[in-house]
Amino acid sequence: MSIYLHQVTKQYEDNTVVDDVSLEIEQGELFVLLGPSGSGKSTILRLIAGLTTLNAGKISLNGRDVTHLPPQKRHTGFVFQNYSLFQHMTVAQNIGFGLEIQKVPPAQRKARIEELLALIEMSEYGNRLPSQLSGGQQQRVAVARALAQNPDVLLLDEPFGALDVKIRGQLRQNLRSIQKRLNVTAILVTHDQEEAFELADRIGIIDKGRLLEIGTPDQLYRKPGNHFTATFLGNANLFNAHRNGTMIYIGENRIPAPPNTEAFAGKSVQMMFRPEEVVIVPQSAQLNGYFFGEGIIESIAFAGALERVAVKLNPSGEIIQALISPDISRELGLRPGDAVKIGVKNFHLLPTE
Amino acid sequence: MKERNLSLGGILLLLVVLIYAGVLLLAPVAALVSNTFKDGFEPFWKAITDPEALNTLWLSMRLAVLASIFNALLGVMVAWVLVRHNFFGKGLLNALVDLPLVISPVIVGYVMIVLFGRTGWLKDFPIKLAFSWEGMLVLTVFVSLPFVIREIQPVLAGMGKEQEEAAYTLGASPWGTFWRIVFPAIRHALTYGIVLTLARSLGEFGAVAVIGGGTQGSTESATIYIYRSLNDRNYAGAYSMALLLGVIAILILIIMNNLRVHKRGG
Repeated sequence: MSIYLHQVTKQYEDNTVVDDVSLEIEQGELFVLLGPSGSGKSTILRLIAGLTTLNAGKISLNGRDVTHLPPQKRHTGFVFQNYSLFQHMTVAQNIGFGLEIQKVPPAQRKARIEELLALIEMSEYGNRLPSQLSGGQQQRVAVARALAQNPDVLLLDEPFGALDVKIRGQLRQNLRSIQKRLNVTAILVTHDQEEAFELADRIGIIDKGRLLEIGTPDQLYRKPGNHFTATFLGNANLFNAHRNGTMIYIGENRIPAPPNTEAFAGKSVQMMFRPEEVVIVPQSAQLNGYFFGEGIIESIAFAGALERVAVKLNPSGEIIQALISPDISRELGLRPGDAVKIGVKNFHLLPTE
Repeated sequence: MKERNLSLGGILLLLVVLIYAGVLLLAPVAALVSNTFKDGFEPFWKAITDPEALNTLWLSMRLAVLASIFNALLGVMVAWVLVRHNFFGKGLLNALVDLPLVISPVIVGYVMIVLFGRTGWLKDFPIKLAFSWEGMLVLTVFVSLPFVIREIQPVLAGMGKEQEEAAYTLGASPWGTFWRIVFPAIRHALTYGIVLTLARSLGEFGAVAVIGGGTQGSTESATIYIYRSLNDRNYAGAYSMALLLGVIAILILIIMNNLRVHKRGG
């Protein structure tokens, strides 16, 4: 176990910022802490790095209890959101700073700096000052600096937050390949679910200081364990339902219960399905998937490769969001105001709030 | 039409600035220089090589240098605490830093006499502050207190504490972090703060005159010497010392400016 957090809690006066968080991360894993701003995810990083002290709990890195060690002795590499490069030092001096502190001999230090500059593909930039670099370049230098001493864990606090969208995608791939090549354990904090999906081996969902759920991106998207995860990770259609026998009852409609949902037997549940699982057709005969209900198309909006269709459900008036391909929409001649049948290809059950 | 009005306004503005600068800055300097050398270079040389005059200059420089060292050290600490720490009364402390700029130095000198004088509340204070050069030093430190603090504060606030935290995670001790990360960042501001402190200290008159009493040969600073010389109608002495002080001030500015340029270049 590379990183181990046990019941970690951090309070500021009456405000609990990190609430009883336990977490285990494997060697070489890229773990993403995902949550809205103010959820306490950055504080967790700072607790691991020792930049903030905890009120309760235990933190181990590579089997070493670091709970009460100062940041200098934790062997973490930290990449700050604003990179925090040392402004008066060159790129090479920034990367070599930690090595110099550890009194690594100059020749060895120089070799390591060159190795890292090559790793971030900035070999020509060793003598530049941070102020002479673009945001993306500064970010890469910050990563190299954090990696210089082969830390036990790489901690990244919203490392792409200050960059524009185009560079972001490129740097994500860069970071991912460096992390995998070095097989360094990493925790990345972000509020951007797309970023989390693209990078993470596993994601931890954080809300109000609590770690709600951990899973692979696919698991969390398709089979979230709670309402917050379901709605935070993209759009979700949610309906109150009841599981009884082998069926799910939603209003007057019933659908066969999915497998492995016996735990919900006899209970109220929430039925969740993503917009891309929705089928909209004019005639029942054309329906594939489970029949969900009837409704009127409220609006059809262009959404890049797909069309975003909102359907008002009869008789409740609830809105169902659907994503369908423009081809199908054209073939069926869908227009706002049309009466349609609604089907669901796949769905998932959540405990009620 | 509008543009012409604007340029007319611009000319007027320029005139006002030039007259203002001319009357307030250049005219006194010109008068000082011409008066000093009215009877040639000889009286000037005699006046500034007079041992009594040199003594007062020496005291002024000693006070200014000591006050600058003291305020440089304490200024960094105070600025640090004001930016990095949160505590009860921080707002008040921050406001108090400007006090020396708004209180008349004469009043502060008088208050010190009341406190530390022969019948004062703190008359048994182990160091004799009333009518002594130590007392003059304390007041010089006081009147020049805000400069270093106010120069460093925005720089510290602007750099944030992440650079320090980054240094910590890379293994640097708090002390090492200060010297390697914080000090280089505030160096220029500190230098400038020290220049202002030196200049302010060298020119102080009211406070040191009151607390020191201006005793010839012991607590008479250069500015007090000028004042006495004027009263004694020793114009050559007064003008010469004034010019010398002015030249020293300008030299400090030039040297410090060069230092800054040099360091930025390297």
